[in-house]
Amino acid sequence: MLWDIFCKVIDNHGDIGVCWRLAADLGSRGESVRLWVDDASALAWLAPHGASGVQTHGWHEADAATAGDVVVEAFGCDPPAPFVERMPRMAPAPVWINLEYLSAEAYVERSHGLASPVMAGPGRGLTKWFFYPGFTERTGGLIREHGLMQKRAAFDASQWLAEQGIESLPNERLMSLFCYGDAPVEALIERAAASPTLLLATPGHASRLAQAALGPSMRRCLLRCIALPWLTQPQFDRLLWACDLNFVRGEDSFVRAQWAGNPFVWQAYPQDDGVHLEKVDAFLARHLDDAPASTAAAIKSWWTWWNGAGPLPRGSDGGDETHAWETVSKHWTQSLAAAPDLTTRLLGFVKKVR
Amino acid sequence: MHNKDPMVVLRTEYSRGGRNSATVRMKLKSLLNASGTEVVFKADDKMDQVVLDKKDCTYSYFADPMYAFMDDEYNQFEVESENMGDAIQYLEDNMPVEVVFYDGKAISVELPTSVVREVTYTEPAVKGDTSGKVMKPAKLATGFEIPVPSFVETGDKIEIDTRTHEYRKRV
Repeated sequence: MLWDIFCKVIDNHGDIGVCWRLAADLGSRGESVRLWVDDASALAWLAPHGASGVQTHGWHEADAATAGDVVVEAFGCDPPAPFVERMPRMAPAPVWINLEYLSAEAYVERSHGLASPVMAGPGRGLTKWFFYPGFTERTGGLIREHGLMQKRAAFDASQWLAEQGIESLPNERLMSLFCYGDAPVEALIERAAASPTLLLATPGHASRLAQAALGPSMRRCLLRCIALPWLTQPQFDRLLWACDLNFVRGEDSFVRAQWAGNPFVWQAYPQDDGVHLEKVDAFLARHLDDAPASTAAAIKSWWTWWNGAGPLPRGSDGGDETHAWETVSKHWTQSLAAAPDLTTRLLGFVKKVR
Repeated sequence: MHNKDPMVVLRTEYSRGGRNSATVRMKLKSLLNASGTEVVFKADDKMDQVVLDKKDCTYSYFADPMYAFMDDEYNQFEVESENMGDAIQYLEDNMPVEVVFYDGKAISVELPTSVVREVTYTEPAVKGDTSGKVMKPAKLATGFEIPVPSFVETGDKIEIDTRTHEYRKRV
């Protein structure tokens, strides 16, 4: 099938990150994909070699295009009106999907797969379908490329670090940092500096905040920090695989941290009225469902603090619960990996509604 | 209107998605053949609304399966309980509502956008927590539960947004 994926880059890199990953995954399965994006600049470092089956186009080039078999608007971004105007005249009309935001909240299961009649505008009369990524069988699942878990199992962290020119010292704990501008990085550094730590900070807010906290030396007590260059998506995966503790944010890196199988702390995209904290709580309720109470409490205290809703946790980065946290993370990854991935479910869904 | 059928909205669920977006899930019932469906919209989607007649009434009584309302001329109108939707959660005697008519038949009611109701039960307040950020369930006389700040106590009167079922303030 020919897929049209529409992506508007609002802020940060999550929009293009998710859309590119979906496009590439579809392309790897033999689908033809046109990715229509208003700002493709991040692809220069995120995916410099492109992907098989995927063509990238400027947003307004779609004004003159006719839709393929499936149209995906990512995160409700409303494709250009001229493109949509031609859709009702097609026979058959393309399957129109709104790829929604990921959440562990209960409403996702209730809303996933529902029709959304288009009652106004250029697409009037068509039906859009809401497709929600999620963590359960009753949602759209999570993007997971074929062979990902095998690559993860075969990964050699030492070799990869060496290839990146990163030397980790004996007993040094590796932490990755990818965060929004209001993350309490100074406090994290102050806490982490009590133990041998190599902090790998991604470009943007993470590096900026780390450099502001550490100064030119990029060191404090037992903590060293390296400001990383922009990484491709596969290389970012390997960063997460190599680290003992990952601080991630938004949607794409949040999912990738779960495939890494290592302890991680997620910073949710901040929203009005603090509603993002409900999303954090909803995820933790699922993620920690089988965890021992003390482990769950320790993990929750880190997540709550990192999202600005609680005090700095006691102990050092999980302390006595470190091993238990690793077990929780691995168990979670295994359970997610046992379920069909998002692209598989999306293909099945399109086949059903077509 | 949905596929040229006039529909009544029985239930709505307003959900906050990512990045300050929102969606609304609706349970619909056809006014013509009683068939039902569920749909979802982005919160800012536009839709055709059927122009319906409305009349100011007050709630009188319930005689299963009909809810009875009366206007100021003592005319009585009955609405099927299945079509009452979320209005049931806030009903109390003599409550002012708008009864909605399609083709001369009372099909649903519309509530005021906010109502004041007494909390019939909620767990005791935690001393010292006046932030309003910690929420707990509170039950109304109808049995309906909504989340309220932890400082709200049994017997308190609270203002509720009937569209989103959200606590607004203590009255």
